[in-house]
Parts: sequence; structure tokens; C-alpha cells
Amino acid sequence: MADTNSKKMSGVDTGRKGLMITPDLCIACRACQSACKQWNKLPGDKTTNRGVYENPPNLTANLYNQIHFIEKPQDVGIQWLFVRRACMHCGEAGCMDICPAPGAISRTREGAVVFDKEKCIGCKLCAAGCPFDVPKFDENDKISKCTLCSDRISNGLSTACAKGCPTGAIKYGRRDELTGMAKTAGFNVYGEKDLQGLGVMFALKGDPTAYELPAKPAYDSSIALWDSLIRPLSVIGLGAVAAGALLHYLTVGPKDVEPDDTSGKGGDQ
Amino acid sequence: MAQMIQKTTCFERFVHMLLALSGIALLLTGLGFLYKNELGWLNTIFGGVHIAKGIHDWGGLVFIAALVLSLGTWFTECLKWSKEDSKWIGMLGGYLSKDKETPPQGKINAGQKLVGLLVIAFGALIGISGLIMWLSAGSTIWFLLHNISSMIFAIIIPLHIYMATAANPGTFRIMTRGDVPLYWAKKKHAKWIEETGAK
Repeated sequence: MADTNSKKMSGVDTGRKGLMITPDLCIACRACQSACKQWNKLPGDKTTNRGVYENPPNLTANLYNQIHFIEKPQDVGIQWLFVRRACMHCGEAGCMDICPAPGAISRTREGAVVFDKEKCIGCKLCAAGCPFDVPKFDENDKISKCTLCSDRISNGLSTACAKGCPTGAIKYGRRDELTGMAKTAGFNVYGEKDLQGLGVMFALKGDPTAYELPAKPAYDSSIALWDSLIRPLSVIGLGAVAAGALLHYLTVGPKDVEPDDTSGKGGDQ
Repeated sequence: MAQMIQKTTCFERFVHMLLALSGIALLLTGLGFLYKNELGWLNTIFGGVHIAKGIHDWGGLVFIAALVLSLGTWFTECLKWSKEDSKWIGMLGGYLSKDKETPPQGKINAGQKLVGLLVIAFGALIGISGLIMWLSAGSTIWFLLHNISSMIFAIIIPLHIYMATAANPGTFRIMTRGDVPLYWAKKKHAKWIEETGAK
């Protein structure tokens, strides 16, 4: 593993693993939240009653997987939409590209975006580079997020959340097979192509924005501009200065000032 | 022994040294972060990424302090732009030929003034964006601004170092000892010598 450039998907495209989330099947039992905490040995967070069923309110350093409750007022009562929030394991991962610490965020052979707390330097740039606002930080400012249960899937098991899900709202498998199944069942697949394919896709009937998902998730434009333009330009610029200085030294040469130099030539530094 | 004239005060040399050393440490650790796959070894030399981050953060504060001191020390001098300075820039300091006569320069020549102004401008951008990234998760706009400014720095500073060492023998002494031979100063900073009235 440990390829830290997200744009190199070599060895990952074939048989890339992922999740298919079907919000319509979710009953908000939050078995996935519990299964995730159990497998990853994460302690509970103390929360307060906010007058809603959703709990905790968002991802935390100890919560890699959260069911978000969307309440839509109807003529009578409300309509509930349940959306799983967690790392999307983007094919083109902004977090991985902006990360300054070698090996702190990397991609596994199954396509999961994983982290190494020992290598993380706590700069939090990954959170700025994430289109889904996923990375959270522990008490030592180290990154904390879903790993797609890379320690399970590399051993042929499914993710803890998918195993815990009683309705099939979270399905684990090969990405290509998951998208095929969802399309056959008549769903639109969210994230099939975006960001070189999300590792976590959604099988939707309606508009993604109704589920509070970005309509067109995009790779961060600042990271893209840096990577594609400024980075090569700076190398060219530095090379030009080095070559120019060397060429100047060898052709025109340095401007010496001799004590008896009265010719008036030479000039200023 | 040639007659010497003092060009920089002890304080000026201290400020320049502080700015230069902190700037170099920041540039090297920063390059190690930005080009983690190609230049990550730079930070291994500094003792690993964790120590390198400490150097980059706290060294940044030293750099900002040095930049503020520089502002007070050289900014007004850098802003004194004369016709000779424009002419000097127009002929690229006469560096393209050995026989070109350059117009008489003040205590700081036009090239140094330009470097000074660029360092203050881009140094301020680097400092502000760096502080924002350090103190808050922030937005990638600051990341981009920090990087662009730093890359401009990484191009200006090697040029400045070449000009003050190999290209102009005798100049580096101004940064370390502060005094230069009078005949050297008469040639390089004629206007300044005229103003001081040194013979």
C-alpha cells in the first residue's frame, strides 16, 4: 500500500471495493454506528438532548459513521430521510493530495483511503481539502475517519457497518457489481463517476440535494491549480534561476572591484 | 589594508541574519511538506515530519518577527526610488555585459530595493496565510496563497544569494562583518559615499 498520490489508481481500478448506500432502505436503527464503534474500539461521545432523534449530531473523532436524519415537513407530520455520513473514499482524494506528511493518508489495494496516526502531523489540511467535510481530529489533533474497515476487507470480510445493517441499506462489495445491481433495481447511482468514482456510492430515486449530498462533488480547485500549474511552474522557475546564474557566471562572469580599478568600468552590484 | 567604511549596523546584520536563517529553515521544511514524495527526505534531515512541523510553525513566528523588524529597518530606504534606480533596473544592473556603466547607486541599490520590497510583500502574504492555516482548519485558498508566495520566494532568494556572493565578490561581508573597503563602496554605491562625504 502507501501510494500517497491519489491520482495514481493503479492496482486499484480492478476489483476496487466499495459500499452502496440505499437511503430508502434505511430504518435509522443505527446498528451501523454501533458495529463501527465496536470493531474500531471507539468510545462513546457524551451528547445532549437536542429535541431530535439524530444522535450524535455529526461525525466525531470517535464516530466514523453517522446516520443523519433529515426532517421534511409534510401536510401531516414530517417525512424522514436517513443518510449515512462517512468518508466517501474518493478515487481522486483531495485529503491525500494536500496532506504534507508522507504516508499519513494513503490508499489500500482495495481502494480505501486510510490514515496512520503515527505519521499524521495534525495540520488539519485534509479537512480543508475534503469535499464532504469528513476528517475529524482527536485530542492530539490527529486525523480520525472511516477506513472502510481496511483491516477487515483486506482479509476478505465485509465492513462492520455493512455486516451490522439489517435491511441491506449498506451493501459492501466490488464497486462494479454494486453499481450494476443498483441500476438493475432502477436507482440512479450517485458517485459512480465523480472524483474518479467514489468508494461509497448512493442508490437514489430522487435528487441528491434532497439527501443533503453535493449535486456535483468536485475536487478542490486550489489543490488542482497547485498540482497542475503552480507546482510545475515553480520547478521551471527554480531551474531557470539556477541555469541563468551558472550561465552568467561562466559567460559574463562576476563583477570584481579591484583596489586600483580606475577605468570606470564594472558598476554596481 | 584598504580603508574600510561601515555599511550595516550590528542590529541590521542581526535582523538580516534572523530573516535569512528562519527563511531558509522554513523554505526547506516547506519544500519537504509540499513535495512530500520527491523532497520528503528534507524533513527526515530535520529530525522527522513532527519536528519539521514544529520548526515550520515556530520558525514561522521568528520569520514574522524578523519581517516586522525588517519593515522598520529597510522599508523607507527601499521606497526611495530615484531615476537612477529605474535606469539600473532598465539595464538589468549592467549584468549582461562586463563593460556596461551603471548609474550611481545609493546605500541600497535598485536590485536590492526590489528584493527588499518583494520579500516584505510576499513575506507578509506567507506569514498571514500561514498563521491562518496554523490556527484554524481554514480553506484551501490560504494553502494556495501560501504556496504561490513561497514559490516566488524560492525563486527570488536563490537569485539574491547568487548576486550577493559569487556574482559580486566582497558583498557577502556586508551581511557578516558589516564593513566594506572604501574603494569598493565608491564603485558600487557612489551616491551613498557622496552623501556620507567619505574620502
